[in-house]
Amino acid sequence: MQIMIVDDERIIRESFFHWFQKSGHTVETAASGAEALDKLTQAPFDLLFVDIKMPGMDGIELLAAVKERYPETLVVIITAYGSIESAVNAMKIGATDYLVKPFKPDQLSLVMEKVAQHQKRSSEYNYLKGRLEKITRFDNIIGQSAAMTAVFEMIAEVADSDASVLLAGETGTGKELIARAIHAKSPRANLPFIAINCGAIPDTLLESELFGHQKGAYTGATHDRKGFLEVVGGGTLFLDEVGEISPKMQVDLLRVLEDKTVTRVGSRRPVSVDFRLVTATSRDLDAQIDAGHFREDFYYRINVIQIDIPPLRQRKADIQLLADHFLKKLCHETTKRVDRISPRALQLLEAYDWPGNVRELENAIERAMVLSKSRMLDEADFAFLQPPGKAAAHGPALRDMEKHHILDILDQYGWNITQAAKALGINRVTLHKKIRRYQLKAGSRDNQ
Amino acid sequence: MPDDDRVDRKKPLVTVIPFGQTPVIAAKVIAAHISGYLNMDAETLPSMPIPPDALDGERLQYNAARIIETLEAADMTNAFKIVALFDVDLFIPLFTHVFGEARQNGRVAAISLYRLSIHADGSCPPSDRILERAAKIALHEMGHLLNLLHCADPLCLMNFSDTVDNLDQTPFNFCRYCRRSLHRALASP
Ligand SMILES: [Zn+2]
Ligand SMILES: [Zn+2]
Repeated sequence: MQIMIVDDERIIRESFFHWFQKSGHTVETAASGAEALDKLTQAPFDLLFVDIKMPGMDGIELLAAVKERYPETLVVIITAYGSIESAVNAMKIGATDYLVKPFKPDQLSLVMEKVAQHQKRSSEYNYLKGRLEKITRFDNIIGQSAAMTAVFEMIAEVADSDASVLLAGETGTGKELIARAIHAKSPRANLPFIAINCGAIPDTLLESELFGHQKGAYTGATHDRKGFLEVVGGGTLFLDEVGEISPKMQVDLLRVLEDKTVTRVGSRRPVSVDFRLVTATSRDLDAQIDAGHFREDFYYRINVIQIDIPPLRQRKADIQLLADHFLKKLCHETTKRVDRISPRALQLLEAYDWPGNVRELENAIERAMVLSKSRMLDEADFAFLQPPGKAAAHGPALRDMEKHHILDILDQYGWNITQAAKALGINRVTLHKKIRRYQLKAGSRDNQ
Repeated sequence: MPDDDRVDRKKPLVTVIPFGQTPVIAAKVIAAHISGYLNMDAETLPSMPIPPDALDGERLQYNAARIIETLEAADMTNAFKIVALFDVDLFIPLFTHVFGEARQNGRVAAISLYRLSIHADGSCPPSDRILERAAKIALHEMGHLLNLLHCADPLCLMNFSDTVDNLDQTPFNFCRYCRRSLHRALASP
């Protein structure tokens, strides 16, 4: 560990130096706050020991400056006068701990143990977070429709409480964003948010991801590992597609919610845990209960408060807002310059049914942008969307949908092959091939 | 005589000195452990007076860092390393007290029996227990004088013991890793 001792007394600097050197740490000393800040610009430090009483910049001022510029650096405050008040003050500004000089050797060991644990936890957390971020996507929630305003009000209302929240809504409605918003507005905002898609992980793996395991619990378990229920450490745990959880896991989780303890796979020792649970489902859980796939007692545990997320087709007032947002975002991510969406294209987007919801809209904008050669997305750029009213209500085969769509466009352009091909985003040869394959004729719709 | 060379090369000498009222037996036990565990020659000297400026008038404790500085400056004997033994309470400015103190790769270690003579619950242990603790502290500080760092293995003497209970649980043992470092340090003193 890289440690810096900041104290105006030489003898204290030396004592610290020798002690930490003996423990194999890299130690630097500074005789003043200014010197410490100077050294911090030259090299990173994990931990600072800072004396409160120093001429010039005092320890509290240094602490504030360090926390502002290097929030990752931990600071332990040293006071010779046993002034608890200033120590408490320091803790509020972000000191990790404080020590009253002279302290017992075991107090210093304890502080070092705490620091080491903190480092281990934050690196474990970052590792798990990195793994999860690959699965999940981030964005802001956007909406001005009445339906979304109601959702925002619910978020504000439930955030403060610890009650379990169930988010119900179709796939692609942005349930994870809502869960993040609840977390961000809650008192747990500074603690971890961990999202797990229960539908994407096999049951046995999910068990060890959630509960952790002891070394040797099963083949491949070469180390003890904490599960997310432990790692979340007071934060918010978000279980997406909770309807996919097996009945056995439902029982295990129910027990966790009741006992607030977790037992790692292959271990017998329960560990106490603290977290706020937010779950989400795109399935009808009532029907699942009736069918005997979902436990009623578990359902009531996770469904203390339910928020229904409206599908995009019920919040058409948000489509323009969302489309503009995705346009800006994608322009930022790629080098492509597309400034706006034509009114006719917007009409088309608003008329569409959006079975895949917000996610489908984002994909549609992206796809249109990639293929577009103009700075404005027009109707033709969205020709790949199924026309409204012809949605998959009866589940027609893809080929049927394509056939209908091409026919629509051909009719629309009065069978002008060049214009229709342009509208479809394909070349004329391909369109001719498709006309032949589907045996399309002007007015053939009537014969269907 | 092929072995002459090796016989001529003397083992490094460690001098153990009791200060003040410290019992000479403690110095003898420590010397025996040093020569036994570290394979060095160890001798004991008769008692010496405690350096008078080591006493801190405010804390009524003895400053271990100052004692070490004084003895390092004293150019004593031909000793390779010196272990100074006290029965008064030692401290360094950071800590309320220390069992022992030595500078990394330094020449002098200071050890106090004062806090080793009380159980955690305040009662007094038998004298052989006190001597055992003193010998463990001495081996630990000798490790520092031979440039060893603290060790994470709780069953190793180079593990940092902050209570007598911890000390009692540590066996007379250097872990494999620390033993190797000792050998290396002693091969080229
Ligand atoms: Zn040590
Ligand atoms: Zn060791």
